[in-house]
Amino acid sequence: MSRWSEGTQERARQIIARYPEKRSAVMPLLYLAMSEEGYLTGDGMEEVGRWCEITPAQVLSVASFYTMYKRERTGQYLVSCCTSITCMLLGGDDVLHAVEDESGVPHGETDDDGLLSVEHVECIGACGGAPAVQINYELIEGVSPEKARQLVRWLKKARPDVVNSDEMQALFGGRTSFDWGISEKSGAIGPYPAFQPLGTVGSEAAD
Amino acid sequence: MSEAKLVTVTINGVESQVPAGELLIKAAQDEGTYIPRFCWHQRMSPVGMCRMCLVEIETPRGPMMVTACTSPVSDGMVVDTESEEVKKAQEAILEFLLANHPLDCPVCDKGGECPLQDQALAYGPGESRFVEIKRSFEKPIPISELVLLDRERCILCALCTRFSEEISGDPLIEFQHRGNTTEVNTFPDLPFSSYFSGNTVQICPVGALTAKPYRFRARPWDLQKVESSSLQDTAHPRIEIHASQNEILRYTGVDNDATNHGWLSDKARFGYEYLRSDQRLTSPLVRRGGELVEVSWTEAIDTAANRLDLIKSEDGGEALAVIGGAQGTNEDAYAISKFARVALGSNNVDARLDDALASHFLSASVDRATIADIDDADTIVVWAPDLKEEHPTLYLRVRRAAQELGATLVVIHPRATGLDDRASHKLTYRPGGGYELLDELANGDHPEVSQAFAAEKVVALVGIASHADGPQLAESVAALVRRKAVHAKLMPLNSRANTYGALDMGLAPDLLPGRVGLDTIGCANLAASWGDIPAVIGRDTRQILQGLDSGEVRGLVLVGADPINDLPEPSIAVDALDAAEYVIAIDLFLNDSNRNADVILPASGFSEKEGTVTNVEGRVQKVNQIRPAPGQARTDWAILDDIATRMGVSLGLASAEGITKEIATVSPAYEDLTWDSLEWDHRDGIVVPIHGAQAINHIPVALQGSKAPTAKLTLHVARVMYDNGVRLQHSPSLHKLGPGAVAHLNPGDAPSIGARDGHTIKVVTTRGEGEFTCVLDEGTPTGVVYVPFNQQGASSLGSDPVVRVTTS
Repeated sequence: MSRWSEGTQERARQIIARYPEKRSAVMPLLYLAMSEEGYLTGDGMEEVGRWCEITPAQVLSVASFYTMYKRERTGQYLVSCCTSITCMLLGGDDVLHAVEDESGVPHGETDDDGLLSVEHVECIGACGGAPAVQINYELIEGVSPEKARQLVRWLKKARPDVVNSDEMQALFGGRTSFDWGISEKSGAIGPYPAFQPLGTVGSEAAD
Repeated sequence: MSEAKLVTVTINGVESQVPAGELLIKAAQDEGTYIPRFCWHQRMSPVGMCRMCLVEIETPRGPMMVTACTSPVSDGMVVDTESEEVKKAQEAILEFLLANHPLDCPVCDKGGECPLQDQALAYGPGESRFVEIKRSFEKPIPISELVLLDRERCILCALCTRFSEEISGDPLIEFQHRGNTTEVNTFPDLPFSSYFSGNTVQICPVGALTAKPYRFRARPWDLQKVESSSLQDTAHPRIEIHASQNEILRYTGVDNDATNHGWLSDKARFGYEYLRSDQRLTSPLVRRGGELVEVSWTEAIDTAANRLDLIKSEDGGEALAVIGGAQGTNEDAYAISKFARVALGSNNVDARLDDALASHFLSASVDRATIADIDDADTIVVWAPDLKEEHPTLYLRVRRAAQELGATLVVIHPRATGLDDRASHKLTYRPGGGYELLDELANGDHPEVSQAFAAEKVVALVGIASHADGPQLAESVAALVRRKAVHAKLMPLNSRANTYGALDMGLAPDLLPGRVGLDTIGCANLAASWGDIPAVIGRDTRQILQGLDSGEVRGLVLVGADPINDLPEPSIAVDALDAAEYVIAIDLFLNDSNRNADVILPASGFSEKEGTVTNVEGRVQKVNQIRPAPGQARTDWAILDDIATRMGVSLGLASAEGITKEIATVSPAYEDLTWDSLEWDHRDGIVVPIHGAQAINHIPVALQGSKAPTAKLTLHVARVMYDNGVRLQHSPSLHKLGPGAVAHLNPGDAPSIGARDGHTIKVVTTRGEGEFTCVLDEGTPTGVVYVPFNQQGASSLGSDPVVRVTTS
């Protein structure tokens, strides 16, 4: 008896079918669980365990290893500022401070309205366009502290349903490393839709 | 195992021949070179996590540093375990490990027997450059009822997590988080409730995992130690008993190939608390005017002997009976057997409590499988109790065979068992309907199982899977296996630890010591030392109890037995003991069956006496004494010898070792056994040969039998690891671990009954009824109600599988 909707269960079946062993599906199923409830709950992890036929402790072991599995409720917009070496050399810390200052949310926390979460992250693979920031895992490169403040104000005011990398790059970005490929009109983390367009967990990736 | 090919390796300049493919760390150890390690364990696959076992090997490009635990030896390998580079690496690893380790050795239970402490001293740098703040955690946190975790001491070797995944199959602890915040922990609110959790405490190379019953109770260097074999597991795993000031403080597992590989179930590991209970019987008691009063041994023996003598002279030995003897040593069992036959003149003697396989099947089937045969098997068939619940050592061995050694595992049981996740084929059947499935198998209805039977080496573990199945079913299963696989080896399973030893000593109405029947020449052999033996086959436990009820049996001696709580149909025992004219009990505790006895004699228990025991495969091992029995308690054999003497019959039993010698003279199977050989040359024991056994397939066995009841629901009652047995009742750490009064239902059956998870339901059979907490559980098939046997607060339901469940 699953606690997931029939649609989510069908997605889970499709994902598991791709692997020779059920337990191999644990990571995509964790994304699925996350998109179902907006973050990973204990119940969600237990459910993943049932699908993958592993214990909740084993699920938690995977979920807690990766910082992009959120085990606490995250705001509608997750602002991730890179502070790894390249971004740091090009002012990533200043960008982070600007975001914290403008939003009033210290890194690692979420505001009271559940609108913004701020975190500093390790390298997100955009060194060529450092310093880089992600909103709901949608990338913006070449962000200055001032642009970061504008970004925060925009999120608070415009409150877009979905954020999009190209759109935000045009508004708040600077120098980019290279063309990141096709544009997708939806965001990456929940409330949704989660990851599907990028094929991370979608059936499209298999096609 | 076939002779392994040898290769030549040079370790620290010394050439030696070692088995090809063996891991360097093991090969070096066997050759006398110890390479320090934390994460490597010889019973688990290597991971190379701790880096402590770095050594240098010569390569064409010069010396290379490798982890010895992940490097198989190869011919011509040249290894240096003591080079300057290796020493530097060892010092560096230890400095890293100690960076976060608290060094609270003076208050740590592991101090004095700690691999980290020992190796830091032997291989460490002696000083640390780490001046920052160490990690700290809330401490200790209980991760189960038995195990505590101090995370700051953990060095992340993953022995515990690998044990729980690879060996015991219940990975409820895992690494969590990452990098500097990595820790071992459970899922929140999902404790490490493994039947094997105590093993992680033993293998933890630091004091991160500690056992609640032992924590802060002793320092290792203060402990007295003696090796023995656990009687809380039918495989008799080898243990070391650790005691201080005559109090047993812990058991640890001893690694041996024969039985347990060093592992113990928690019941076997922590089942010592009852021995120091203040409820132990410490002086003889005799009933006077309805009250039990303390008397001297002389008076108690006199009272008991006079009454037994009186009954014997009036009605003969048939009016006397003995039940019990499966919990003690072979020497005790032999004494009971001789006492019954010679002093009482009766064959009314039984160590089984009406829930066991036939004596000839248990003790005399040819081609009996040894535990080692499980490792070699191509196909293992388990139609038996859930091994995880009742035979934990066998569970681990079968699990390993299926998981690591490639055996095809067929599990047949009325519901889910602990082995299902490793089973190639799993068949379930309605309780009481085993014969129908047997019929299907005989007809080849399950081709995948038939195919598994066609393998060359087949080992079948057979026993009573459900109280609804009679003991005959197991014999029929064995016969079918033998029919399908002519060379199959059988392991008949029975609960209670020394049942096999007891039967070998003749504690069955149709057996004499040495696995000889009453009607064979063995009887004549025995007559030389025993004198006349009554020729009529006696009563088994059920018949004894029925005889007590009807008055045909007037006197009963209970030796360490509690039929009221142990019989599948307890009402028989309740009525019988109510009606019994005279009952003498020899026991450690008062229990429901002996509470109203006329004479109660205090007995010494495990670790309070020496002797031999015989395990499920017929392996005889020595058990040893480390503490005196409390008060005036004495061994069973000494008590029985005294009663016999007072009855005017000399049994001639003077010492436990003397009895072992007597057993060797009267029992051909035991003729080579001496305490010396068991203590010095065969510490893992000796498997005694089967003499004069009959092949099971020659015994006419019906493949047809009772059919499953057509009722909508059938009752499956089975034993679980923790029950309400008297020794567990007096073991505070284990007693609360039983499931209690619960009844399992398939979620699909719940709506029609109106049952809900956690709510109370009423379960009614023809033999009893009671209220149980409902557990909805996918492992119980639809149409089955599963109730764990003999639980605290649970009423008995008998063994009739017809059952009704209501919500009120």
